[in-house]
Amino acid sequence: MNAIIEVENLNFGYPPQNTILQGISFEVIQGRFLAIAGPNGAGKTTLLNLLCGLLRPKAGCIRIDGAPVESYSVKKLAQKVAVVRQEFVPVFDFTVAQMVSMARTPYLGTFGFEDKTDKQMVNEALEATDTSQFALRALGSLSGGERQRVFIARALAANSPVLLLDEPTSFLDLKHQVGIYDLLKTAQLEKGKTIVAVTHDINLAAQYCDEILLLGADGNYHIGETKDVLSREQIEKVFGVRTFVGSLGQEKFFIPLGKFAKDSGQIASKPHNIQHE
Amino acid sequence: MAEFLTAKELAIKVSICLVLLAVVMSLCALFPRSVGTQKISWTKVFAGPGQKPGENIDYEILIGVRLPRVILAALVGAALACSGVALQAILRNPLADPYILGISSGAGLGVIIAVLSGVTWNFWGGSPMAVFAFAGSLATVWLVWYIGCFTGKSQITNLLLAGVVVNAFFSAVIMFLTSVANSQQLRTTIYWLMGNITEKDWGALLISAGCILAGIIALFALCHRLNVLALGQEEAKGLGVNVARTRIVAFACAAFVTAIAVSLSGLIGFVGLIIPHGVRLVFGPDHRQLLPLSAITGSAFLVIADTLARTVFGQEQLPVGIITAIAGGPFFLILLAKYSRKVSWLK
Repeated sequence: MNAIIEVENLNFGYPPQNTILQGISFEVIQGRFLAIAGPNGAGKTTLLNLLCGLLRPKAGCIRIDGAPVESYSVKKLAQKVAVVRQEFVPVFDFTVAQMVSMARTPYLGTFGFEDKTDKQMVNEALEATDTSQFALRALGSLSGGERQRVFIARALAANSPVLLLDEPTSFLDLKHQVGIYDLLKTAQLEKGKTIVAVTHDINLAAQYCDEILLLGADGNYHIGETKDVLSREQIEKVFGVRTFVGSLGQEKFFIPLGKFAKDSGQIASKPHNIQHE
Repeated sequence: MAEFLTAKELAIKVSICLVLLAVVMSLCALFPRSVGTQKISWTKVFAGPGQKPGENIDYEILIGVRLPRVILAALVGAALACSGVALQAILRNPLADPYILGISSGAGLGVIIAVLSGVTWNFWGGSPMAVFAFAGSLATVWLVWYIGCFTGKSQITNLLLAGVVVNAFFSAVIMFLTSVANSQQLRTTIYWLMGNITEKDWGALLISAGCILAGIIALFALCHRLNVLALGQEEAKGLGVNVARTRIVAFACAAFVTAIAVSLSGLIGFVGLIIPHGVRLVFGPDHRQLLPLSAITGSAFLVIADTLARTVFGQEQLPVGIITAIAGGPFFLILLAKYSRKVSWLK
C-alpha cells in the first residue's frame, strides 16, 4: 500500500507564539478517508493549509505522492490536491458551471478554453454531486448545502488523487451533513480518492472515516483507526467535556454533556436499543 | 449539462461586435456633417480617394481630422474599459476603476509640472503634458504598488489604502502648485485634466494603438486566471494559479494601458467603472468574454460620447469627460434596474 501523504516531524507556529504543531508525523495510505478533529485553536486548519502548500512548515517535511510539497509548482500541486474550503458566495455572479469549470484551470492552455476532456470532467462532477440541474444558475442563488455540493463538484472535476476539506459540513442541517459525507464516501469508494477532512463532528467522522487524527490543544495528538482512537476517555481528554458514548449496532456515537445535562451524574433515559458503554 | 464558452463562439460574438463598432465609428465620423467647426459634404468625401492633396478639403478633413479623432476615442475607451475589468478582478472590488490606485493624481501632478516648468520639447508626437502625464501615472502606480507590497501580507487592502493615501498626498501637492500658477497655466492644466479627445497625428495614434492593443491581448491571455483570482487568493492558489505573478502582470498591463489613455486624452471618468459593470450584467462575469466585449463597448461608448461632446453645443466643444459622466450615470442605472430584477428573480 502506498502512502500518498507523508508528514514527518512537522513543526509550525505563527509568530509571536511559535508552536501550534510540534513533531507531528503520520501518513495517509492512498484511497483512505482521514478525519482531523480537535478543539478550536489546536491547528486543524493550519495543518490542512500546510498539506495544500498554502503555508510552509518551520521544520519537518510533507510529501505528496513521494515528492515534497514545496517541490511542486502551484499548477502541478493543484493537479495533485484539490481543496474545499467553507462555502462562500463570490463577489461576481459566477454560474455553477463556471465555478466547477475553474477546477480545470491547471490544465488549460494560453487563452484558457476548455477542451473535450475538461468538459467531460466537469459534466461528470456535476452528475456525481447531483448539481447538474443548477448548472446555469448563479452560485449566489443556491442554498448553503447546494453550494457546498458545487464546491465538492469542483474538487472532483480537478481529477486530483487527494481531496482536502475544511469543515465541509459546518452551517449545514442534518440531512445535508449526511448528504455531503455520503458524497465524499462515494468518491472514496468509487474513484479511489484519498480524502482528508477537518471536522468538528466526531459522530460523522466515526461513521464515515477510516482513520482519525485527534489534535489536542496541548500539542499532543493521536492517530489511528477511527474505532480505536475514539473512546470516551480520549474525547474527554482532548475536548475537556464530559461525554456519553453509546452504540447502535456497529456504530458508536458520542454526546457531549454540559453543565445543565439532566443526567444527575447518570444517563437519565436509556432507550432499549441503546447501550451505555 | 453545463454550457461552455468556446473559442469559436467567442470569436463570432467579438466579430459581430467589431462590425457594429465599425458602423458606429463610421457614422460618428461622417454623420455630424453640418455641425461642429466645419461642414463636410458626403458626395465630395466619397469622391475623395484618388484626388490630389489640396483638391478636396472635405475628404482631408475626414481623413486627417475626424477619423483620427474617432479612432483615438475608440482606443481610449477600450483601454479604460479593459483596465477597469482587470482591476475589478484583481482587487475583487466591483467599485474599482482605472484611477483607483493613484493614476489620476499622478497624471495631474505630471501635467501641472509640465505646464509650470514650461518645457516645450515633443516626444514621438506627444506634447510635454502627455509625456509628463504618462510618466507621472506610471511612477505613481509603481509607488502605490511598492508601498502596498512593502507594508504587509494582505496586499489587496494595503494596495487600496496606499492608493488612497498617495492620491490624497498628490492632490495636496497639486493644489499647492495650482495656487502658485498663473491663470493661463491653471486653465491649461484644468482643461487638460477634464478629459478631452483632440486630434492627434497618425504617427502618435499608431504607436498608442499598438501599445494599447498589446496590453489588451496580454490581459486577454490572463482572463481565465482573473476568473479564479476574483475568488480570492487562497482559492486561486488552490486552483493552480500563481497569484503573485498573475496579479503583478495584470496590474502592470492595466496601469500601462491606462497611462497611455490618460496621456492621450486626460482623465475621462466613468468609462472604466460602468462599462465593465454593464457588460457583466448582460453577459455574466466570465472574464474571457467580459474583457473583449468591454473593450468594444467602451470604444463605442466613448466614440458616441465624443461625437456628442463636439456637436451638442454647436461651435463650442465640451470636454468629453462631462458627457461620459452625464450620459453614463443614468444609462447605468437603467441597466442596473433591468438586470437586478432578473438577478433577484434567480435568487
